[in-house]
Amino acid sequence: MHSDYGYSEEKQLGKPYDVKLLRRLYPYTKPYKLLFLCSIVLVVFITLMDLSLPYVTKIAIDRYIVPGRESIKKNKAVHAEVDVRVFKADMTDPDIQRVVRKYPDLFKIQGASAQIYFRNLVKLNKKDLAILRKHDLSGVTWITALFLTLVIFSFVFDIVQVLIMEYAGQMVMHDLRLRLFDHIQSLSISFFTHNPVGRLVTRVTNDIQNMYELFTSVIAFVFKDLFLLVGIAGVLISINLKLALACFTVIPIVLYASVHFSSQARAAYRILRIKIAEINTRFSETIGGIKVIQLFLKETQNYLSFKKLNREHYLAGMRQIHVFAIFMPVIEILGATAIAIVIFYGGGSVLAGTISLGALVAFLSYMKMFFRPIRDIAEKYNILQNAMASAERIFLILDSTETIQHVGRDIDRPSLSGLKPSDTDWGSISEISLENVFFEYIRNEPVLKNISFRIKAGETLAIVGPTGSGKTTIVNLIIRFYEPTEGRILLNGVDIKKRGVRELRSKMALVMQDPFLFSETVRENITLGRDNISAAVFQQILKDSNCQTFIDRLPDGVHTVLSEGGASISSGERQLISIARAFASHPDLIILDEATSYIDSETEQKIQEALAKLMANRTSIIVAHRLSTAREADRIIVLNRGQIIETGNHAELMQIQGFYYRLNQLQG
Amino acid sequence: MKSLYLIKPYLSERRLFIVLGLIFLITVDFLQLFIPRIIKWAIDDLTGYRIDKISLLIYALYIVGISVLIGIFRYLWRRCLMGTSRRVEEGLRNRLFAHVQTLSAPYFDKAKTGDLMAHATNDIQNVRMATGMGIVALTDAVVLGTAAVGFMVYINVKLTLFVLIPMPLIVFGARFFSKKMHRGYHEVQGAFSELTEVVRERFAGIRMIKAYNREQEASSKIETVSKDYIGKNLALVRITGSFSPMMILFSNISLAIVLFLGGRQTITFTITPGDFVAFIAYLGLLTWPMMATGWVTNLIQRGKASLNRIDRIIKEKPTIDDPADPVWPDHVSGSIGFESVTFSYRPFDRSSVAAPVLDGIDLEIKHGNVLGIVGPPGSGKSTLLSLIPRIFDVGGGCITMDSIDIRKIQLAHLRSMISYMPQEPFLFAGTIRENITFDSRKTNESQLIQAVERASLLDAINTFPNGFETIVGEKGIVLSGGQKQRVGLARMLLKDAPVMILDDPISQVDLKTGETIIDTIRAMAGEKTIIIVSHRLSALRFADRIIALDHGRIFESGTHAELMANNQYYAKTFRLQEVEEEYA
Repeated sequence: MHSDYGYSEEKQLGKPYDVKLLRRLYPYTKPYKLLFLCSIVLVVFITLMDLSLPYVTKIAIDRYIVPGRESIKKNKAVHAEVDVRVFKADMTDPDIQRVVRKYPDLFKIQGASAQIYFRNLVKLNKKDLAILRKHDLSGVTWITALFLTLVIFSFVFDIVQVLIMEYAGQMVMHDLRLRLFDHIQSLSISFFTHNPVGRLVTRVTNDIQNMYELFTSVIAFVFKDLFLLVGIAGVLISINLKLALACFTVIPIVLYASVHFSSQARAAYRILRIKIAEINTRFSETIGGIKVIQLFLKETQNYLSFKKLNREHYLAGMRQIHVFAIFMPVIEILGATAIAIVIFYGGGSVLAGTISLGALVAFLSYMKMFFRPIRDIAEKYNILQNAMASAERIFLILDSTETIQHVGRDIDRPSLSGLKPSDTDWGSISEISLENVFFEYIRNEPVLKNISFRIKAGETLAIVGPTGSGKTTIVNLIIRFYEPTEGRILLNGVDIKKRGVRELRSKMALVMQDPFLFSETVRENITLGRDNISAAVFQQILKDSNCQTFIDRLPDGVHTVLSEGGASISSGERQLISIARAFASHPDLIILDEATSYIDSETEQKIQEALAKLMANRTSIIVAHRLSTAREADRIIVLNRGQIIETGNHAELMQIQGFYYRLNQLQG
Repeated sequence: MKSLYLIKPYLSERRLFIVLGLIFLITVDFLQLFIPRIIKWAIDDLTGYRIDKISLLIYALYIVGISVLIGIFRYLWRRCLMGTSRRVEEGLRNRLFAHVQTLSAPYFDKAKTGDLMAHATNDIQNVRMATGMGIVALTDAVVLGTAAVGFMVYINVKLTLFVLIPMPLIVFGARFFSKKMHRGYHEVQGAFSELTEVVRERFAGIRMIKAYNREQEASSKIETVSKDYIGKNLALVRITGSFSPMMILFSNISLAIVLFLGGRQTITFTITPGDFVAFIAYLGLLTWPMMATGWVTNLIQRGKASLNRIDRIIKEKPTIDDPADPVWPDHVSGSIGFESVTFSYRPFDRSSVAAPVLDGIDLEIKHGNVLGIVGPPGSGKSTLLSLIPRIFDVGGGCITMDSIDIRKIQLAHLRSMISYMPQEPFLFAGTIRENITFDSRKTNESQLIQAVERASLLDAINTFPNGFETIVGEKGIVLSGGQKQRVGLARMLLKDAPVMILDDPISQVDLKTGETIIDTIRAMAGEKTIIIVSHRLSALRFADRIIALDHGRIFESGTHAELMANNQYYAKTFRLQEVEEEYA
C-alpha cells in the first residue's frame, strides 16, 4: 500500500450480505442498547395491539351483534331441519319480559329464558328490539370503548417507538460518522493523493446515510413485520387450527413468489442504478468537457450516445415496472385466494358450527393484515442491499491503516483529549538535518536523490531550483507528510520518526503557495479554532501580518464569512491570511512555499513586510521562486532534478559562477 | 402551468396508452369494490344459514376470479401509465441534455455543475413521479373514493355520514403534514449539503489541517455540523413519524364509529350483518384514497416546481450564437486578424470591477504563418486563444478570419475551420480511441494511426494490453499527464482544419518527445495557420512571429532573433531555460 501513490480503483466489493458486517456494526449500537431495547418492547406492544383489533371486532360480532351460536345444536336436535340462529332473552328482566309478552307467538319460553328465531327478530318493533337486546347494545358500547382505548394507545406507542428508534439510529450514525472522519483524517497524505476527495466525502455523508436506513428499516422489518406475521399466524391458529392451516396453504407460493421477485427486483434495480450512474457521468463529463465538445463540433455525436444511454435507462425502467407489475398483482391474487379459502372453508365451518361468524370476520381482517408487510418486502430488501454495500465501503476505509509509520505512540491520530506535553516533546528546535535522503512517489522514479543538509536555529535556508526539481517535496518530508524512501531526517539530533507527528508539527508553520481557506470567518481562518487567543494578541497578529487594512474593508471585518474557495478576496490577501495563521501558531520553524502567481506590487510589499516580521528570530526554510528572496538567506541550496548541485550563501555561490550565478545573471 | 409544454409531446405520443391505462385503472377500482359485496352476501347467507357448500364455493371462486382479473388489469395499467412516465423522463432528459450542450462557455462559468446535475436527476425524477404515480393516485383516489362512498351510502346513509366524519381530517392532515414534511425535507437537505461541504473542505485542506495540528478542531466542527444535521432529521421525523400513526388513528376512529353505530344498527336490524362486514371492508378501501389525495397534491406540486426549474434552463439562450444572417465564405485560407481586441471576464461579485484580461490587442496572422505567444502565468495567453473559436466573445474590437468578422460566420462553420488543443485536454471516461475520434465508427483507421503517431503517442498506446481500446477512466485517470496531453494533440491532428491553435502543447512531456512534437507541428507550417502558446520558449523558435503578453497587452513582438536582440523578457527567459536544460 505504501508504495502505491498512484490512482487505485476502488476494490471490487464482494457479496453484499454478510453477517460479519452486522457484527461489526454491533459495537456502535452498544451505547444505545437501552433505547433499542425500549423500542423493541414497544414494537411488541404495538403489534399485540394491532393484532387484538380484529379480535375485538370478532368478540363484538359473536357476543353482541350476531349472537346465538349455542342455541344451534339444541334446535338442531329438536327440529332436525336447517340450521337456525336463535336469540335467547333473559326473562328475569322486567322490561324484557314485557317485550316477550308482547309477541307471544314469536317466543318460546323455557324457564328463565325466552327463545326466538333470529330471523324473526326483524318482525319486532324497533323500540322493543332495542329493549330486548339492551345487553347487546351496551356490550357494543363497551367494546367500542375498548377498541378506541386500544387504538389510542397504539397511536401513542407507535409515535414514541418511531422517535426512540430514529433517535438511536441517528446517534449511531453520528458516532460512526465521527469515527470515520477521525480515521480518514488520521491517514497519511499519500492516502489522500490516491483517493479523490469526492469519494471520501461520499463515504462520510451518503454512505453513512444509507446505513442509517439499515437501522431503521431492518429493525422495523425484523421486529415489526416479522413479529406481526408470526403473531397473525399464532392468532389464526388459536382461533381455529384447521381454517388457519387451510389459509396457510398459500404461504409456500407467497414465499416462492417473494424470493423469486426479490432476485428479479434486485437485478432490475441494479441495472437501473448502473444506468443512472452512467447518465450522470455522461452529463457531468459533458458539462466539464463542453469546450472540447463544442470546439470539435461533436454535439450531435455526443447527443446520440447520450440518447442511446438514456434509452437503455428507459428500458431498464420498463423492466423494473414489469417486475413490480407482476409481483404486486400476484401477491394480491394470493391474498384474494386466502380470502376465498376463508369464505369457502371457513363458511363451511360456520355451517357445520365449528367456528363462529365473528371468527370468520376476524379471519378476513387478519388475512388482509397478513399480506400488507409482504408487499413491502421488495422495497425493504432493496434498502438493505444498499445499506450493506455502503457498510462494506465504510469498513473498507476503517480497515485501511495507511498512517505514517512511527516508533512512538499513536501519534498521527488526534487524541481528542487535547495536546499533552509529555516526554515526546522535542523542546525548542535547535537543529534540523537531512542525511542522505532519497524519495520517490512512484517506484523507481526518484524525486529526491541523496539530499543532505543541516540548518541551525535562527538560520534562514533558501531552496532554489527549476520547477519539478523537488523543492516542495523536501518540505513535505520535513513536515512528515511523507517518509523518506531512504535516509533520515533529524530534529535536534533525533530521527523525526521516533517521536510524535503532532509534537513535530506544532513546532512548525507552513505558509503555502495557495493557502487553503475554509468557508468560515476570517478570524476562524486565522485562529483555526484556537479559542485561547486573547483579543489583544489577535489584534497584534492582524497588525504584524498586515491583514488589518484589508479586513477593515470587509463588510463584517474579521467576522466576514469567506465564500467557497475564498473567492471573495484576492490571492494576495489570501497569502496575508496564511501568514497571520502562522503567527497565531507560534512556531519555531517557518516553512515558506513562495507564491509564483502575480500579486500587485502594493500587496506584494505588504506580504514581504509581514514575512520579514514572521521570520525574525525564527528558523526558516524558504522554497524560493524568486532569486531576490534567496539572496538574503544564510544559506542557499540549489536543487536540480532532485539533486543538490550547489550550496552556500549568495556571495559564495556567485563566486563559483555555476548554475546559481547564471540564473542571477539572467534574472538580474 | 406554462411549462407543461415540455412534457406535452411525450404525453400525446403515448395518448393511446394513457387512455387505455386509465380505463384499466378504473376497471380495477370497480372490480376491487366487488369483493366486499361478495363477502357481504356470503356473511348474510351464513348468518341465516341460507347457504350450502356449493354456493360458498361459487362465492370463493368469484373472489379468486375477480382478483385474477384485477391482477391482469393492474399489470396493464402499470405498464401503460408508469411506462408513460418513464417515457416522459427519457424525453425530457434528452431535451435538457441537447439544450445544455448548446449553451456557451460563460454560462458554465456561472452555473454550478452540481446544480445542473440536480436538474438532470432529481428534477426529472420529480416530474416522472408526478406524471406516473401522480396521475395514478389521483385517479385512484377519485374513482375508488367516490365508488366506496357510493356503496356505503347504498348500505346506510346515516352510518356513512358518521363514518365520514374523520375523513376530511385525513385529507387535511395529509396535506398539512406533507407540506410540513416538504419543508422539513428541505431543511434536512440543506443541513446535508452543509455537512457535505464541511467534510469536503476538511479533506481538501487536509495538508493545512495536518501541518497545523488542527485535527481536533476539524473533528469538533464535523461533530457540530453532524449534530445539526441530526437535529434537523429528528425534527423531520417528528412529523413523518407521527404522520402515518395519525392516519391510522383517524381510520381506526372511523372503524370505531362503524363498530358502535353499525353494531347498534345491526342489532336493531337496520342493516344486516353482511352490510356491517362489507362496511368495514369499504372503509378499508376508502382510507387509501383519502391519504393519497394529500400526498398526491404535493407530488404534483413538486413535479410542477421541478418542471419550472427545467424550463428555466431550457429558456436560457446561448450567449454566443449564430448570427442572424451568416456569411458563408466559400474558401477559407485561414488568415486571422485582431483589431484592438479587449476582453474581461464577468466579475465574481458586483463590488469588484473586472480587470481587463486583454487590452488593445492588434494582430495580423497570414495564411500559413506561425505565431508564438509567450508570457508569465495569468497574462492572458489562453484567453486570447479562446476568443478565436468564440468560446468567449470579444469585449471590444473584433477578430476576423479572411477579413470577415468571426461573429458573422455561422458558429459551426467557424469552428470547423479551427482545430484547437486546449491546455487541459479534457478526457472522457471511454476508450483511448473514443477519446481521439469521439466516434469509433466513422474514422478511418490509417488516419487515426497517423495522427497518433504524429502526436508521439503510438508507442505508448502499443504498450497498453488493450491498445486503442484501453479505457482511460474518468478524466483519463489511468494516463500520465504527458499521455493525456498527447491524446489531446492526436485529437487535434485528426481534425484537418486550416487553422491550428495549440495551448501549451508540450508542457507535460519530456524534452525529447517535446522536440518530436514540435517538429510535427513545424512540418505543417506554410500549409496551415498556426498559433502556439508555450512556456518552453525553444519550442517557438521557428515561429514567424513571437509576441510576449503581460497584463493582457503585447509588450514584445518579433522573430526569435529580433526578440533575442531586444534582450527583454523573451531573451531572459530563453537564456534561463537554456541554463536549466544545460544542468539537467
